[in-house]
Amino acid sequence: MTQFTSAAVPAPLLGRWNYRSWAAAAAYIALYVLCDWLSYVQPVLKLGITPWNPQAGLTLIFLLTVGPQWLGCTALASFLAELLVRNASPTSLLVLAASVWIALGYGGLAALLRHWHLDHHHPIRTTAAAAKFAGACVGVTIVIAAGYVVLFVASGVLPPEHALRALPKLLIGDLTGVLTLTPLLVSTRPWGAAPSVWRQHHWQLLGQLAVLILSVWLIFGLPVTLQLRFFYLAFVPVIWISLRWGLPGGLLATLILQVGLIIAVQDETPSPLIDLQFLMLTLSLTALLLGAAVTERAGVLQRVAMREAEQRALLTMSPDGVLAIDAHGRVRMANPAALELFGAGGGLAAATSLREWLPDLTLQEPVGRATLQGRRTDGRNFTADIAWARLDPPANAGFMVTVRDATERLRLQEEARERDAGVARAMRFAVAGELASALAHELNQPITALVSYLRASDILAAPFSRENERLKTTLGKAAHEAMRASEVLRRLRDFYRTGTLKREPVHLPTVCGSVAVAFQDRLRRANASLVTHMGGPLPMPQADAMQLEIVLHNLLANALDAVCHSTKARRRIELHVGGDAEEVFLRIEDCGPGVAPDLAGKLFEPFVTNKPDGMGLGLAISRSFIRASGGELTFEPSGRLGGACFVVRIPTRGPAES
Amino acid sequence: MSAPTVFVVDDDAAVRDALSLLISLKGLRVSTFSCGEDFLAVYEPRWRGCLLTDLQMPGISGLELQRQLAERGITLPVIVLTAHGDVATARAALKSGAVDFLEKPVDDDVLIDVLENAIRVDEERYRAQALELHVSQRLERLTARERDVLLLLSEGLQHREIAARLAISPRTVEVYKARMMEKLQCRTLAEVVRIGAEARLRPAQ
Repeated sequence: MTQFTSAAVPAPLLGRWNYRSWAAAAAYIALYVLCDWLSYVQPVLKLGITPWNPQAGLTLIFLLTVGPQWLGCTALASFLAELLVRNASPTSLLVLAASVWIALGYGGLAALLRHWHLDHHHPIRTTAAAAKFAGACVGVTIVIAAGYVVLFVASGVLPPEHALRALPKLLIGDLTGVLTLTPLLVSTRPWGAAPSVWRQHHWQLLGQLAVLILSVWLIFGLPVTLQLRFFYLAFVPVIWISLRWGLPGGLLATLILQVGLIIAVQDETPSPLIDLQFLMLTLSLTALLLGAAVTERAGVLQRVAMREAEQRALLTMSPDGVLAIDAHGRVRMANPAALELFGAGGGLAAATSLREWLPDLTLQEPVGRATLQGRRTDGRNFTADIAWARLDPPANAGFMVTVRDATERLRLQEEARERDAGVARAMRFAVAGELASALAHELNQPITALVSYLRASDILAAPFSRENERLKTTLGKAAHEAMRASEVLRRLRDFYRTGTLKREPVHLPTVCGSVAVAFQDRLRRANASLVTHMGGPLPMPQADAMQLEIVLHNLLANALDAVCHSTKARRRIELHVGGDAEEVFLRIEDCGPGVAPDLAGKLFEPFVTNKPDGMGLGLAISRSFIRASGGELTFEPSGRLGGACFVVRIPTRGPAES
Repeated sequence: MSAPTVFVVDDDAAVRDALSLLISLKGLRVSTFSCGEDFLAVYEPRWRGCLLTDLQMPGISGLELQRQLAERGITLPVIVLTAHGDVATARAALKSGAVDFLEKPVDDDVLIDVLENAIRVDEERYRAQALELHVSQRLERLTARERDVLLLLSEGLQHREIAARLAISPRTVEVYKARMMEKLQCRTLAEVVRIGAEARLRPAQ
């Protein structure tokens, strides 16, 4: 069953009863009567039975195309045919009832076929559809014929003992008409290619037509007694044409054949007629099923060819190398990218072993990935990212392998690692500097007092130092040592301070970009996203790019920690960068739980942290860095994302000189 | 006029105590304050000496204290004590009028030198102010004629030229000059020329 359900939805009623339908109905009725008159060879058993009834096929075509609700036309056509062709009495209730019954039967069949999507929108393309169509037609025509016979028996026209003999004769004519004509004409789609086929193959078509006519002429040129014995000759052209042209060709051939038969049997009918009818039915069924099989095969072949073409195009375009490996580990196929990767410019040499190109690769698992050394034909090696998959049966024991040059990826990874190491080193340096600074500041006051006390003691001891020279020198030494301690602190602090501030115009997008790249892995692992908004043209503030990077790094690391502690499904961090002529700002927001109120007031003091393994220096260092550039780092408790929000502001003119 | 005193402002009690001990042992008077606000609260204009203030304090900083002193017209010389290498702040302090800045911990000899220098600056400044006051008081005693003679004399004019200019006799010029020099307590012509130069800057009311 196809999924084109839209065709089964009935259009509005008014739209269906349009003038084209009426014209079709009129043409149908005229054709019906004409066909009946043409095929009306010999009334059998007073039933008006003919060897084949093209009007049955016509009826089904009509009802399938315009809709089963037009079955009234069928009843009218049938009734008219009875009157005009068979000279039935217009007042005969039996003829009227029979016409209505036939109309109801075909209306039902049309509805059933429409329900199965075997209508004019869906040409028969598969054997399954052909079998279904044939089955439905057989079933319904049996019912129609049975009802028809019952009507005639009940009305006393037909003696009951002839009923069983009448049934198949009635049935077969209709069935042959339906099976031959309906699939051929109900859908016009397969005929679209006919003109071009005719242009390209008209000699072949003419030849086939000639053989067809020849076979009819042969069969009916024989004496009547031999005609049926040699009827099988008709199968030869029909099978040939079906094999060559599929369903439309086979059915067309059958139609031509049957028209020929009707013409041939006009003057002399072979007896018994039913034998001829059965042969014609078989021929129609053969053409239908064989034609469908051929059409189906052609469709499959076309799809396979298309898929192959797509795959070929994909392989040609692919930036990755693709190899097909056979069961013996030989490279069966290599796409251009693979040939280039392995330096096989001249194309794939016969019996190239995968071992020559990827010596370390062992294809054990059905699916796998690896990064290993590939060897080019010139002997040079390169690092390759490999992925492979075993081919499913029936193409088993082979593998598909993709190869990607990993050199660039590894270089970027190495660069990122170096950058991370650089930032970490600078961070450690900054931590040490902050510690040294805090230590120096705290220790300097007592040392100042100490030095002053010792100098005072020296003066106080002056009266005694004449007697005790050692007291004076000892006090002098003590003061000297205290000064030395202070000097050590000063040097320590100066060491961490010198050279750390390098003021230059900073390109903010570059800084943000490189920090974002450094965070990519961690963001991915944490399943969090970082969204950066850059607003308009940014001035370049005077600052130390490395320090600014460290600050951003710290703030992003805090934000990432915060979102990892959040219960929200979407872990989101936003970085907004903007500014004007006066200053630039960077705002980092997260959707984490925010900062506890008791912590908010002293966030930037050294050694304040809410992390179990944190030193509490990150924000302190960040603030002193930003202040060194004349800017400010502040905390805003209510970020738009519900978590913390830190804002860095840096004046574009650098720190004021006073 | 009180005796010159070193006013020490520092939030650290030990530093305050040690500095005051050391300074007093070096023979200078010391007065200590734990913050700038305290000093400003009790300051009197007759105080002479200098101010030694720490830079980083919990209340107003050393720079802020210096700014407020300048705002009130207090000319007491300021010496700023800084932590290590805070060059930018020290430069700011000097720019806004500090006499000097010292790094903690401070060497006592250097400290005393700087303090004595500051006290000397304060004294000179005070004396200059006092002299100026004195001159202007003396100038006020002169009559208009005597003042004219003073101004013309300091321009380097001869007695005869002055007499011609003022339309009086040279003899009368002599009399005015003698009276004027007596009032101004000048003994030499050089002193007259110097005071005359000042008088030109302050026109008589």
